[in-house]
Amino acid sequence: MSPILETRSVTQRFGGLVANSDVSVAVERGEIVGLIGPNGAGKSTLFNLVAGVFPPTQGAIWFDGEDVTALPATARCARGIARTFQVVKSFESMTVIDNVIVGSLLCTSSMREARDKAFEVLAFTDLIHRAAAAASELIPSEKRRLEVARALATSPKLLLLDEVLTGLTSSEAHKGVELVRRIRDSGVTILMVEHVMEIVMPLVDRAIVLDLGRVIAQGKPRDVARDEAVITAYLGERHRARGA
Amino acid sequence: MTAETIIQSLASGLLMGLLYGLIAVGLALIFGLMDVVNFAHGEFLMAAMYATFGLAALAALDPLIASPLVAAAMFGFGALVYLGVVRFAMRAKANAGMVQIFATFGLAILMRGLAQLLLTPDYRSIPTSWLGGRTISISGIFLPAPQLVGALIAVLAFGGLYVLIRHTDFGRALEATREDPGAVALVGIDRNRIFALGWGLGAALVGLAGAVMAMFFYIYPDVGASFALIAYVVVALGGFGSVFGAFAGGILVGLVEATTAMILPPSLKSVGIYAVYLLVVFVRPRGLFGSL
Amino acid sequence: MDAASFVQRRRRQLALAALLAVAVALIPLIVKDVYIQNILVLTLMYAALSQSWNILSGYCGQISLGHALYFGLGAYTSALLFTKFGVLPWFGMLAGGALSAAIALALGYPCFRLRGHYFVIATIVIAETAYLLVLNWEWAGAALGIDMPVRQDSWLTLQFARTKLPYFYFALVLASITWLVTWALEDSKWGYWWRAVKDNPEAAESLGVVVFHSKMAAAAVSAFFTAIGGAFYAQFVSYIDPDSVMSFHFSLLMALPAVLGGIGTLWGPALGAAILIPLTELTRSYMGGSGKGVDLIVYGTLIMVIALARPEGLVGLFRTRRREPAR
Repeated sequence: MSPILETRSVTQRFGGLVANSDVSVAVERGEIVGLIGPNGAGKSTLFNLVAGVFPPTQGAIWFDGEDVTALPATARCARGIARTFQVVKSFESMTVIDNVIVGSLLCTSSMREARDKAFEVLAFTDLIHRAAAAASELIPSEKRRLEVARALATSPKLLLLDEVLTGLTSSEAHKGVELVRRIRDSGVTILMVEHVMEIVMPLVDRAIVLDLGRVIAQGKPRDVARDEAVITAYLGERHRARGA
Repeated sequence: MTAETIIQSLASGLLMGLLYGLIAVGLALIFGLMDVVNFAHGEFLMAAMYATFGLAALAALDPLIASPLVAAAMFGFGALVYLGVVRFAMRAKANAGMVQIFATFGLAILMRGLAQLLLTPDYRSIPTSWLGGRTISISGIFLPAPQLVGALIAVLAFGGLYVLIRHTDFGRALEATREDPGAVALVGIDRNRIFALGWGLGAALVGLAGAVMAMFFYIYPDVGASFALIAYVVVALGGFGSVFGAFAGGILVGLVEATTAMILPPSLKSVGIYAVYLLVVFVRPRGLFGSL
Repeated sequence: MDAASFVQRRRRQLALAALLAVAVALIPLIVKDVYIQNILVLTLMYAALSQSWNILSGYCGQISLGHALYFGLGAYTSALLFTKFGVLPWFGMLAGGALSAAIALALGYPCFRLRGHYFVIATIVIAETAYLLVLNWEWAGAALGIDMPVRQDSWLTLQFARTKLPYFYFALVLASITWLVTWALEDSKWGYWWRAVKDNPEAAESLGVVVFHSKMAAAAVSAFFTAIGGAFYAQFVSYIDPDSVMSFHFSLLMALPAVLGGIGTLWGPALGAAILIPLTELTRSYMGGSGKGVDLIVYGTLIMVIALARPEGLVGLFRTRRREPAR
């Protein structure tokens, strides 16, 4: 079976800056793939390219056997790519359940179905007890879960998670990991950008490492962690930070 | 339409344009500083015009002499409006944009109502002033002295503003606050103080324009409304937040208005400006020099 | 909070509205004073107008301060068709509504690319341009406007010289319809998408909402009903001119009740109209000539106070009380 997501020689330039250079990666159905790398590696750019925020300067993006390079974010969502935002973008004036309903309305015009689906998703993401609360009243970790719930409500095939586990307490992070696993078990493929190694490495099936816009390693977390190039990339950064 | 009359019209248009720029730059400054559009800007102009009229009628002060006084008074007024009204509007959590729009709008309506009630809707004008009624001839073109001096004052004000922003501590503080309002507290800049001073400066500039315009425009409670719309168009044309944009936008608007007046009946002279505004923002949704 | 209680809440809203409509319908049977009836008609009309405005600017968050354009379009279309071609206002208002919706869509195409203040100013500028053009349009009466001679009281021509009651009931029906449309849209795909677009267009797009189409739909619906209000107004006052139906002042008047009552809420516009219109009319008449400007002072202060102290509008007063026990 073909991979659910493929980037083919994707290059992204912003003026003179090359954020992604010749990136060719694939994500198989049912995988949890981690996208990691030091700061400025180009993870967010690649993430946004897959999500459809802007088209790549060069290269193609294939999703579920279709070339989606020219499709904007809304069309990609309709095809099954959902994403969360690193800086949470909840609909502040709406309640939690209403936030999720916006998502579930993608797949149905029946309000009753949309509402039922939204309740389901809230139960799945452990937010059902906050259904009637205004989104603005949630604590940060709940807001993160709302982001995920909303994206899930669109019945995606591929879920893009943008640093959803960063900055959480250890118990919140533990719950977060559980949620990611549950999502995968329900049949959704996951591509996640992360910084927190201790949490991500045990979670993902595969890791793709970016540095300075290029893929420098990919494979099982254990192997990637021992890869020379990866270690240099991270250590090198620490050297630079020490004031070379 | 001889070449002479065309040049005459364009010259007048240029002068008016410089004044429009002066009216608009305060608006651009405030917006650039804190992302708030002062929908009471026209009423600030009206207040300045009435103040100038008052000084002329009660203290026999020529508007030219009165202008720095009016500007200073408007400075205080602007700062007060920030401290008393806008500061609270900026605290809104949801619908922040809407709150700001309607808070300043409410103020505008209130000011207009007060003017109508206390000063009556009668049209006022300053009967005699040093420059009133005089024309100055520049290589064959006759320009009314008040407008010419007014335009000069506008240019000087822009120059002064440029110096203020680029070469003084206050100007640098303004720029810094504009770029990162959160961070400036770390270097000891009191954000509220800068905002209040920014409002004061913006109000002083439009106050200066009002004092000048009182020399050759009728003064009445709704006078601010028509100029306000032109000011918004100038600022939006030039790009919200851009002081240079206000200058360039003003000149452009003045010229377009003069050109339109030559082609269409007088009551339609604003249509040209509106059309230009729409054309510009449809092509460049951020205005000509906008930085947002 | 579950699906059942939600359905209940919706039914209660409907029941309350029906009750209110009936109660209001009975008022003219008790209040015979023509002057007060007049105020009531205006209040209902502004409730309808503000409710229409609310759809685009409240729910969808695209603040328009140029809605007088659609009001004027409705008034002039209906009046011109009536006086020049003898078309009954019933058809005239539908024509006006359709025309307004079409123009809203045509304008939306370029305008909805604009953000924030640029958009608001564009709406003002477009309405002003239309005002100036009509002011100079000889065939439409230019500055003198259109005078509609009232021949005899008739529902066909929607003209009544001897009694205000038919106007009152028409306005009540219009206000009820706009309320109903809002109620229906609130729990619909459009309603949810509009609020998402208002709160965070980027997030909405990531969930598959085509922001542009949403805005267009809101604009069309809003313009349609605003125009019908305009056509009604033309028949109500029997004389229209650019100043009375296309001025910026009117654009403000359509927005203020919603802002006062609660922008983006179901009951806000009606509540705001119920307070603002009688207040304005009474202030104006009791203060007489010397009271010039007092109504503006009242407006201005009210708007400032609401914007600063209660931006969610007066309906917020009712809401906080209801929320406490739900926790």
